[in-house]
Amino acid sequence: MNLSELIHEFILALIEPGILVGSIGTVSFINTANSAFSLGLVFTCISLLYFALNADFIAAAQLLVYVGAINVLIVFAVMIIDQSVSSDSEKHGIGYFTALGACSILFLTIVCIFHKLNDFYSSSIHQSEYLKLNLFEQNDVQNIGYQLLNKFLVPFELASLLLLVALVGAINPARDEDEGKDIAENKKKSFVSSTSPRDKSSFF
Amino acid sequence: MNDINSFLSRLNSIINFSTILPKIILIVGLITIVITDLVNKGKNANFLYKIFLISTLVSMGILFYQLISVIAFEDLYTNNTFNNLFRFFILICSFISVLLSVDYVLCSKISLVEFPLFKISAGLGGMILSCATNLITIYVSLEFLALSSCFLSGYTKRDIRSNEASMKFLLMSGASSSSLLNDFSLLYGFSDGQVQLDNIIDKILFSQYIPIICISAAFILAGTAFKLSLFPFHQWTPDVYEGSPTPVVAFFSVTSKVAALCLFTRLFRLIFPYLSNEWHIVVELLAISSMILGNLIVVTQRSFKRMLAYSSISQIGYVMIGILAADLENGYASMITYRFIYIFMNLGTFARITPFSLRTGSDNIKDYAGLYMKDPVLTFSLVLCLLSLGGIPPLSGFFGKLYLFWHGWKAGLYLSVTVALVTSVISIFYYLKIIKLMLTKTTNLVDTLKTYENQKSLVSSIISTKLKSSVEMAMILCALASTLSGLFMDPIIKITRNTFF
Repeated sequence: MNLSELIHEFILALIEPGILVGSIGTVSFINTANSAFSLGLVFTCISLLYFALNADFIAAAQLLVYVGAINVLIVFAVMIIDQSVSSDSEKHGIGYFTALGACSILFLTIVCIFHKLNDFYSSSIHQSEYLKLNLFEQNDVQNIGYQLLNKFLVPFELASLLLLVALVGAINPARDEDEGKDIAENKKKSFVSSTSPRDKSSFF
Repeated sequence: MNDINSFLSRLNSIINFSTILPKIILIVGLITIVITDLVNKGKNANFLYKIFLISTLVSMGILFYQLISVIAFEDLYTNNTFNNLFRFFILICSFISVLLSVDYVLCSKISLVEFPLFKISAGLGGMILSCATNLITIYVSLEFLALSSCFLSGYTKRDIRSNEASMKFLLMSGASSSSLLNDFSLLYGFSDGQVQLDNIIDKILFSQYIPIICISAAFILAGTAFKLSLFPFHQWTPDVYEGSPTPVVAFFSVTSKVAALCLFTRLFRLIFPYLSNEWHIVVELLAISSMILGNLIVVTQRSFKRMLAYSSISQIGYVMIGILAADLENGYASMITYRFIYIFMNLGTFARITPFSLRTGSDNIKDYAGLYMKDPVLTFSLVLCLLSLGGIPPLSGFFGKLYLFWHGWKAGLYLSVTVALVTSVISIFYYLKIIKLMLTKTTNLVDTLKTYENQKSLVSSIISTKLKSSVEMAMILCALASTLSGLFMDPIIKITRNTFF
């Protein structure tokens, strides 16, 4: 292996234990705040992995969205609940073994698939084709921005409206009650003046 | 004269040129509502509803104008008759259901502004869903529709059943859209990176990837059948219908089903033409089971809204026959016609339940006993709408069902049409049971009906005039439409005919 591949392997070898440690920590810490923070470690290491794989836009998006928004939300929720120690006893019931079996089968499937893909893609024909594609000089962000404003304009604008409606909808149930009553009384008063032109013929 | 001509022709070209103009008008209406409420600080709610109604009416007008003149358009969506019809239906639904909901919202003293906001956004989501040909647009608009419907169903936040309904709706719609997204990723992968539906079918090598195509068909079915409340995915319908506020249920039961039908038809028609036999069999099975299940369980219901939920499940079963029976000369005419009539029948029934539940506060069917004496108009119009739902001639429901079943028989779906006929008879039995309950004179009136009259006199005369105006309008509109559409069946069928793509 030449130097660049060696450096690449080294960086990957640094990042992957981080992901492993973080995910084990998320599952097995007793204090929920600790597990929320180790989830943050997992997300950060995943975004570093994206950097190592030369996908700069996704790495930045992962940092912003997952670490910056989702993880912060999770930590916030954990802090609000204020239940520091979750009292779990270590019972290995039937559910435990079922989940263990299912997860190990999935893991073995993924490992087998990756081995087969590795054999398939590391043949020299494919490597030369990939080099021809010249992936290293693409400007991801520019491409994405261009597509968003040209081909995918409608979903883009619709997503911004969706955010607006989601905001309003999230605040609506959480709002204070008293405002509603005052508003309703004000509206009743305004009806006295405004319904006389709207008086349709009495049907009853 | 020349100037007016050139001006008119320029106006013509502007209106013709922009397919998204109706949606832009709706968006402008949405933003105007938010800003108006912000400026007025909560007064003058009447004005907000007027904005909504005006914007819906203007969009409808423009869409109608576009329906008449044929236009070609660009990449994101096409502009064939199919799309336009569905968009028109969604606008009609939104319009009528807002007419129903004004007084309900006022009387229950919940905050008024967000209601038309969510309704416009759900209508907008439905409209974009109807003409999306792009996987991403489909997903975003589906989420938009689902999210707005979820907020609408949880609108009366102090009612615990409403909270339960919106929780269930949110969870189940999240699960189904994740299944749909899984399928979209399969399609995207196998068609070598194409997102447009037309390009996907060009690029997927159908002969090579048959097991994957079957799996993706199963996922799409799971995702869209939730919205349509077909048989195994119907469990959310009765609980959500019973818990949500009544005008919201009216809105849901028509708008989201119309949009979901459009999505279902388009996805299955475009992506899986080679698998026609397979998915025909599966959809036929689902349709038969929905019809049987809906009509059998409806007999045991005691709450009016739950009964309407189960009856809407069975109606979807009938409509599925229409989808399966589509062929080259007739397009999806039977399904679209039946849908059109169904909109009016369903909204008409809800237009009667809403004032009843406002005045007596109860939803039980037993409380409708002897309604004839107290409120003959309500009774009579409810009778008309229920009979139309059941399919009694000469009302329009009969003509819709007739056309649907005739089409199905012609297309060779003998089993489904037989089951549909049998279950229609069961549903007629149930509707007649309610009608009999309403029309017979009972010597000892139910307690709730005793208070019916009292409440009507206690409510201030201004509010009751307001009650009379908009809900009455909706009631009359729907009653007329459900009786007379049968007579105007032929032009409707003619319009819906060239919708095969």
